Amino acid sequence: MNQLNRLLHKLIHNSAGQARFVMALVGLSVAIVLLLMAVQLQVNYYQLLNGKNNQDSVANFLVLNKELTNETVGASSLSEKEIANIKAQPFFESVGSLTPSRFKASIQSNSERFPFYTDIAFESVPAEFIDINNKDWQWDETSAFLPIIVPNQFLDFYNFQFSFSQNLPQLTPQVVKMVVFKVTIQGNGTPYEMKGRVVGLSNRISSMMVPQNFMDWANKYFAPKDGNNKPSRVVVRTKDPGNPELKKYLQSNGLITDAEKTRFSRYRQIVGYVVNISAITGVLLLAFALLIFTLFIQLTIASCKDEIQLLVVLGASPKQLRVFLMKRFFPPNIIIVFIAFIAIGIGQFFLGNWLAQKQIFIGSFPSFYTLFTALLLLLVIAIVNFKTITNYLNQQATTN
Amino acid sequence: MRIELKQVVPFVLKDRLLHKTSNVWNTNLTLLPGEYIKIQAPSGTGKTTLLNTLYSIRKDYTGTILMDEKSLPEISVDELSKMRQNKLSVVFQNLRLFPNLLAFENIELKRLLSPNYCSKEKIEWMAEELGITQLLQQKTGTCSFGEQQRIAILRALVQPFKWLMMDEPFSHLDDSNIAKAVALIDSECKAQKAGLIIADLEADNHFIYTHQYFL
Repeated sequence: MNQLNRLLHKLIHNSAGQARFVMALVGLSVAIVLLLMAVQLQVNYYQLLNGKNNQDSVANFLVLNKELTNETVGASSLSEKEIANIKAQPFFESVGSLTPSRFKASIQSNSERFPFYTDIAFESVPAEFIDINNKDWQWDETSAFLPIIVPNQFLDFYNFQFSFSQNLPQLTPQVVKMVVFKVTIQGNGTPYEMKGRVVGLSNRISSMMVPQNFMDWANKYFAPKDGNNKPSRVVVRTKDPGNPELKKYLQSNGLITDAEKTRFSRYRQIVGYVVNISAITGVLLLAFALLIFTLFIQLTIASCKDEIQLLVVLGASPKQLRVFLMKRFFPPNIIIVFIAFIAIGIGQFFLGNWLAQKQIFIGSFPSFYTLFTALLLLLVIAIVNFKTITNYLNQQATTN
Repeated sequence: MRIELKQVVPFVLKDRLLHKTSNVWNTNLTLLPGEYIKIQAPSGTGKTTLLNTLYSIRKDYTGTILMDEKSLPEISVDELSKMRQNKLSVVFQNLRLFPNLLAFENIELKRLLSPNYCSKEKIEWMAEELGITQLLQQKTGTCSFGEQQRIAILRALVQPFKWLMMDEPFSHLDDSNIAKAVALIDSECKAQKAGLIIADLEADNHFIYTHQYFL
């Protein structure tokens, strides 16, 4: 069979030109890389939007509270009904209540060299809404210190305003996390002291955050018994903060959120468009590349028309010739799809590592969808090749 | 394999056959396995048309041709390939060799299309018999027509066949080479218990013909 293939190879030579064949393959490679990249980017993008590991990488968490007006002042807490209503909206994926501290609290430096004292208030939220993955983020009554998450804005305010006005040193996030200070809470007349430490800085919720179970415990023992237990703010997770329906809902219910965060949605949409455009470009390129490849096969068959006709006259079956031509044209496609997939894999690996340094977590390997697309593309190419070869071969074989 | 022709008239000869009769066209004719048939006719009377029609290259005719009781148009492309590999062998008038292949490669290609029939040694022996051993490594495009005729004859003999069809196969051969070719063809036909159809311009005594027909 190999000898026969060798002779067939000699007869059905590449009269359409090796350079054109390589060009057709290059075109196809670019199209495949673009398509696989689009699929992989979609997967990464989805992971970024929905993954729980990422530090507030996109603005899909919003803190909602009632707009304070003359009517609502003093009555800004959200009722269970209102929270249930928020939970029922399709554009909110999950809703968590922000629990405010209902006791007095202050923090004070332990160091003589760096004295500070301030009254403070805390808030807490269920752990799934926290964007700091830190083993120190836990508390029970035996804990040595209280972990606190501080908004980045607070540190910025300190470093770029407060420190200058008070002639204090500037602090890096690393230093802030090392400082252990005294936290005093009091309610019901009894002060309670403990050590506190900043375990993370966050952009998501602009409050001093403490673990939920600490808040529950402290509110239980230190809050006035007749106080208001209802939350005033909720944090919601949404796929698209820029969703017009979401904005409409907030407006009609007198709720407001951080308007700055909704601005990210525009960028996010742009990223979405870019990814989609790359997918469309990939599909179009693939269509053109397949067309070129098809024309190339036609050209090869047409240029070897006499040889193919004589081979059929001598007894070569169209099936034999089809197998030969498939073997000739298809394997390079396997190679380019494989190389494209590997290239995407390498790209993904480096992108994953690079983003991980920025606390943005995506997979280090190409997704299953990318692999599936690669295999699907191979199937499409195989079908197109097979159809083209069969059609043009039959045309030649029946015209002796 | 039995070949039957029933009222076969090629389109191209339709008008001409209105005015004259033929032993083959527009009549019923049966060719039995193993028969040696000589078709004799002057130029332009359809010798090549007949062989091409029997070999299913031409399909422009009226009437019926049966091969082992199966009508030719009913034979699928794949079946036809099998027939051309195992039952029908042909030497065309214009030879139809691949000019860019070596003589040996032209023969080898045919041998590989019907694998496990003829050994390479036998090809060498037959080439020796036909006096073309020295041509085997030469491109057929550079061979004379007489040399190409012998290469085409050898190519037709390396496959199994029930009928060997030849269109003016010795037109460019001298008597000595004709005798060598005839001996080889005859022995191969006998060995395969195959029939022979030779179309030619003149009468000859190369073979002991079972029938001679005039177109």
